[in-house]
Amino acid sequence: MPTPPPVDETPHTPPHERVSDAEFETLLMESLEPAYRLALRLSGNSEDAQDLVQEAALRASRFRHTFQKGTSFKSWFYRIIVNQFYTSTRRRKNTTTTSLDSLSDATDIFLFARSAEAGLIASDADPAANVVSRMAEDDVARALAALPEEFRAVATLYFIDDLSYQEIAEILGVPIGTVRSRLHRGRHMLQKQLWKVAEELGIVRPPALAGER
Amino acid sequence: MTLDRYTCLETVRRLDDYLDRELSEPERHEVERHLETCDRCLQRFRFEAAVVDDLRMKLRRVTVPGELEARVRQLLRRGGPDEPVA
Repeated sequence: MPTPPPVDETPHTPPHERVSDAEFETLLMESLEPAYRLALRLSGNSEDAQDLVQEAALRASRFRHTFQKGTSFKSWFYRIIVNQFYTSTRRRKNTTTTSLDSLSDATDIFLFARSAEAGLIASDADPAANVVSRMAEDDVARALAALPEEFRAVATLYFIDDLSYQEIAEILGVPIGTVRSRLHRGRHMLQKQLWKVAEELGIVRPPALAGER
Repeated sequence: MTLDRYTCLETVRRLDDYLDRELSEPERHEVERHLETCDRCLQRFRFEAAVVDDLRMKLRRVTVPGELEARVRQLLRRGGPDEPVA
């Protein structure tokens, strides 16, 4: 179980074995790739992702004594990155995300239903031949980056790593039920946003052109 | 008894948890029992599983900028740890 870093500036140190400076640096550098992946998918662009990783690395370094040796360093560092992401988006109050209202009416199996309506699913269709498989990585990332922050954070952790709901809950410091509900809603929102991007790219035809309702 | 205990609606409602291996063993068994006899739901499940796999594959593919590692190492040299008061 990862030991969460403190949320305030007052260090709270339970009795546990600490890592040496050399061990800390090794652990941090080994986690750089997953850390950058998380930061890139959260922030949506490389420049912000690099800033985010650097700010989180500095914070991790300052609070290294709160990391408990033998626990998952990556999860501990993930938590710092997500907290740093929330802090920086609040600071900038960037309004590029899609409003919750416009996404929250996405129903279960949204993409499947829309694909079926658009005639993209034959009864014997190859399940891999879905809309997402025809989209480039950057387009998929753009759809994810449009989700409201708290849904994006859960969905990002879910898609970029093999974490259980419990592990995601520990990283985010929220109950497992919150992870489950945000992830389910986030996935439906993402499907709706993916469809929107696919329409913009001309991968699927908008309803008006396709003669749908 | 060969009757499905779950309806299509009840099965689809468990789709995400099933794909994420978060269902209890009895629930997972009931979902699979339904899928054995319902092609429509099976098709939905396969579609959703393929979408999740595609998203995972695409969102995981990143290239870490070469200069990031050097910058982080530099930061670690400059900013040492804040030691707690003993």
